[in-house]
Amino acid sequence: MADFNRRLPVYLLIDCSGSMRGERIEAVKQGIRSLVAELRSDPQALETAYLSVITFSSTAKQVEKLTELMLFEEPEFVTEGATMFGRALQLLIDCINTEVRKSTETQKGDWKPLVFILTDGSPSDIPDFKRCAEILKNMPIANIVACAAGADAKTEYLKMITDNVLMMNSLSAGDMAKFFAWVSSSIKMTSNKVDLNKGIVIPPADSNGFQFVE
Amino acid sequence: MSRIAEAILRDGTKLPYVVTDNPPSGTMKHTYFSPDKSYVVQFFNDADMGRNMYTRDRISAIIGKYNPTVPEEKGGAKGNTKKLAEYFSGLFCWPVEIVVAPEFGIVCPAYPQNYFFDENSANVSGLNLKGKDKKSRWFTSSVRKYLNNAEFGNFKSMLKISILLARAVRRMHSAGLAHSDLSGNNVLIDPKTGGCVVIDIDSLVVPGIYPPEVAGTKGYIAPEVVDSAKYPYGDKRRCQPCIETDLHSMAVLIYEYLFKRHPLEGKMRFPQFEAEEEDNLLMGKYALFIENPDDTRNRPDDLIIKVSDFGEYVEKLCLQAFVDGLHDPKKRPTAMDWERGLIKTWEMLYPCENRECGAEWFILYDEKNPVCPYCHSRIKSRQIVKFLFKKEINGRKGQWVQYGETVVYDKMPLYAWHVYSDIFDDEKADRDEIAYIVKNNDKWFLVNKKANGMRSEDGRIIPIGESVLLKNGDFFRISENNNGSLIEVSIRQG
Repeated sequence: MADFNRRLPVYLLIDCSGSMRGERIEAVKQGIRSLVAELRSDPQALETAYLSVITFSSTAKQVEKLTELMLFEEPEFVTEGATMFGRALQLLIDCINTEVRKSTETQKGDWKPLVFILTDGSPSDIPDFKRCAEILKNMPIANIVACAAGADAKTEYLKMITDNVLMMNSLSAGDMAKFFAWVSSSIKMTSNKVDLNKGIVIPPADSNGFQFVE
Repeated sequence: MSRIAEAILRDGTKLPYVVTDNPPSGTMKHTYFSPDKSYVVQFFNDADMGRNMYTRDRISAIIGKYNPTVPEEKGGAKGNTKKLAEYFSGLFCWPVEIVVAPEFGIVCPAYPQNYFFDENSANVSGLNLKGKDKKSRWFTSSVRKYLNNAEFGNFKSMLKISILLARAVRRMHSAGLAHSDLSGNNVLIDPKTGGCVVIDIDSLVVPGIYPPEVAGTKGYIAPEVVDSAKYPYGDKRRCQPCIETDLHSMAVLIYEYLFKRHPLEGKMRFPQFEAEEEDNLLMGKYALFIENPDDTRNRPDDLIIKVSDFGEYVEKLCLQAFVDGLHDPKKRPTAMDWERGLIKTWEMLYPCENRECGAEWFILYDEKNPVCPYCHSRIKSRQIVKFLFKKEINGRKGQWVQYGETVVYDKMPLYAWHVYSDIFDDEKADRDEIAYIVKNNDKWFLVNKKANGMRSEDGRIIPIGESVLLKNGDFFRISENNNGSLIEVSIRQG
């Protein structure tokens, strides 16, 4: 049987600046491990969701190319330096342009991607950031969810990228687990359900203990 | 970290449940288990659902007067006996109680252990399925490749699951209820034992009570619902989930169980549209059966097993569901049509003689060509034995008419529905074996296990434990009681 599956590309943009060092990045790693395990155990997510990780610090790097869940391997997270958030957005744009498949006569095109961003600071490269935020607005993306974690995270920049900005007060392992559990249910819901009007369904965040910023 | 909390029911009863971080959650609800795992307490993700009066009324009706898993005398559905309630308890995970505090929720029985994967279910490292429920989707989609072979059962068990699903849906529909979100996630199956259980009953559409806005699950939504979703909620042109849309979802599931592929996912494309829009056309307005005999645009190049390989009933039902009824909901076969047609198909099951054949069973519908469509092996004995069942025409003593038949194989059991013309293979029938077939040195025998008054061709009584040789053209009765069928033996060289 030919493979007629559409893929659901999921991009995780993870802040790896110096301030994320230690417990924080460990909590992120654990979160991604549970996310992958959780998605693998949902047949429809396992079938459709493809995962990529982009990290940003003094530079931006796609540490895991868009990969099917069973082949996903935990990337290395090197925490150092500044928060080149703009470069990460530029890389995201490039990745979406090259990795997300369009429909052809013989191949089903991918679903529009989901993007989850986690940062504990604000961009060091504000002009780049603003330029890329503008480009992103016109990209074929189903949804971008940005999470501002910790006291120093600036939601005003995240608001330039998306209306879906989450606030998390701490970066404790428990909060991070909740965040990734929520990301997992968003992905599961997108791969299983269709809200035929909006095209995408996002679960409410309040039951998970954090809130969207108005 | 977990702790014990208490759910308070309408009558004040307190039920303990274990609160965990990140409980298992679906699109509508999240679930906590009781300390002994015998029941679950479920709360709505959207707490407003529970504050809604319609939701409460609907769920009270589902738990009470529409409940086929509780006998009438205990507050269940009208006419429901203890025996029927027990039978349907096995096919549904039906809510049993309403939780009023700490917030609105429901209590459901936990499903039996065989609907959970164990540590040996997956065949790849990195996939831990232990304790995860056996959603149908695991067995019918491309992720099958990650499951251990021992999980798959065989063709017979998949056909049994199809019959049970049709029966469960028929039971809901006969009460006017529509499930509204039947899908590969909401029907759990155990191919090893041939069982199925319908879950997420709380989104049922109850007659006269405002229906919920269920988003539906990709691949299982009826084409008219997909296509009319462009109209806003409340618009009259927007099609709502109902019994007819269930009939589409159910047909997709049964097709997936029997053929391990989706009936509408073929090679047709509309590449000029974005994925989301293209999908809406392929599953909605322009949905086309991959096996449509008159329009082959959607037919995959590698279609090996076809609807015609499982005999006339499956073929007719599939064409009715996915050709005639695909865009014309009134023409879809009912759940009762599916149940009856699949049971007639069941009576043509034959064990494949090739020990390597993964399907193990096939449908012997063509006596001239008794070949397993999976492994292409032909039955060796070349001898095909059938029982033709006849009943006496009302008011005309001694005149018999044929009403059914079954293909006979070695060690085949015979049940009440083979013995009596007024008993149908359904939830009411007694499931004890009455007689069975034995094949010995190319001779076929019928052994009496518990029938009183079984007689041979020449009128001799066959006592319990004894057998009778079957010859072509023989007529005999297994029971002399009223409605005892007259059985004609047909033995042909295949």
